[in-house]
Amino acid sequence: MKLALFDYGAGNLHSLGKALEAAQATVTVTSDWDKALRLDGLVLPGVGAFGPAARALPDDIGPLRSRLEEGYPCLGICLGMQLLFDASDESDGHGIGLVPGRVRHLESAVVPHMGWNDVETAEDPIFDGIEQLVAYYANSYICEPVDSAAAIAWSTYEGRRFAAGVRATNTWGLQYHPEKSSLPGRQIITNFVRLAAEARQASPDSVESRA
Amino acid sequence: MLRPRVIVCLDVKDGRVVKGTQFKNLRDVGDPVELAQRYEAEGADEIVYLDVSASSESRGTLLDVVRRTAETLFIPLTVGGGVRSADDIGPLLRAGADKISVNSAAVRDPELLSIGAERFGSQCVVASIDAARDNNIWRCFTHGGSKPTELDAVAWAEECVERGAGEILLTSIDQDGARTGYNLDLTAAVADRVSVPVIASGGAGEAVHLRDAFTCGHASAALVAGILHDGLTTVTELKSSLIDWGIRVRGSEMMEANKG
Repeated sequence: MKLALFDYGAGNLHSLGKALEAAQATVTVTSDWDKALRLDGLVLPGVGAFGPAARALPDDIGPLRSRLEEGYPCLGICLGMQLLFDASDESDGHGIGLVPGRVRHLESAVVPHMGWNDVETAEDPIFDGIEQLVAYYANSYICEPVDSAAAIAWSTYEGRRFAAGVRATNTWGLQYHPEKSSLPGRQIITNFVRLAAEARQASPDSVESRA
Repeated sequence: MLRPRVIVCLDVKDGRVVKGTQFKNLRDVGDPVELAQRYEAEGADEIVYLDVSASSESRGTLLDVVRRTAETLFIPLTVGGGVRSADDIGPLLRAGADKISVNSAAVRDPELLSIGAERFGSQCVVASIDAARDNNIWRCFTHGGSKPTELDAVAWAEECVERGAGEILLTSIDQDGARTGYNLDLTAAVADRVSVPVIASGGAGEAVHLRDAFTCGHASAALVAGILHDGLTTVTELKSSLIDWGIRVRGSEMMEANKG
């Protein structure tokens, strides 16, 4: 399993890389979209701000979005989840638009939403083997999918319930940080690597083999 | 609901965890990578490394420790003490720190907080404030509590947040090391005025002190160090007591099930 860990140029990629490697993935850190979409899957990490990360997306977002729509495996964490949406209150720029909706500022008394929070999970194989999830968050923005059915998990903070996870084909977006959520978080990463491998086996259509 | 956090702090010097009083009589207590892992296994919610090395040559050593820690630690890691300018932030985050905490350097150059927040996001900028009661104000001190400043802790905390700090690590110098409990007045005074989480620090002696920091001090998290390193208690024991008193820390469900 070769996974591309996309580098927007800011923040801590190291621990996420190590968590993926611990789940038996081979990790390539890259800022090259061609390369990122030619492996077995893509990981969008969760560090930095929406604006600079959106600027790191390809100018023509179409091919990237189509690739994900076709089922190329992808895991977006925190900011990486937010990039799956159309746009964000945080800064100008367009997201990937795979999940229709907008990223909103978290209107709460204490922001960032920082620490361990309960996550209610729907039936989804990304949560296999996890009975009860308490995960680590560090976010000031939350995602609002147009279609609430896109959400596969929820958390509540200061009385507001928001999407803790979304799914579209083989793309999962998680608002919390599995790589910082101790054992259950590592289970989620292991599940993603397994699901990505299964998806690639079911449809081994890499861009390389088509070209 | 958001769980109150128990954060373990390790003083690191030249790549080793050290322990001493007021930065004096330091003795080696172990390998930071191993100790951080052990505290994660005990149920710690986060780890803080406070680099107490005096020399600038030690910076490479600190980066190496952070890198090795991030390979095996799967809870958040904050690194303080090694940040003297904005250029120190990027390498620490790249090495595997999730947050950096700044104290003296931010007092000297408050722009450091703004630059850090702009480049890397508020969530990774922790403003560390050391304060002691001085007549009618909470006076801020820098350089490990040795140099008084003209700043009042509450006003300074508000400015730090305005500039982009995403969290306040608030240490009461009077209580530090005394193990008689956190300074609840100071903690509440700051927590009630700022819109970011406040970590209470200085004075943890037993579980009840953590409870009070959460309930009376309005802290989002409590920092613990000496009582753990001296083997007087464990994170598991602290959390078990908190759960008995109805504080829902992470791990509650598992521990309640075990208690039957």
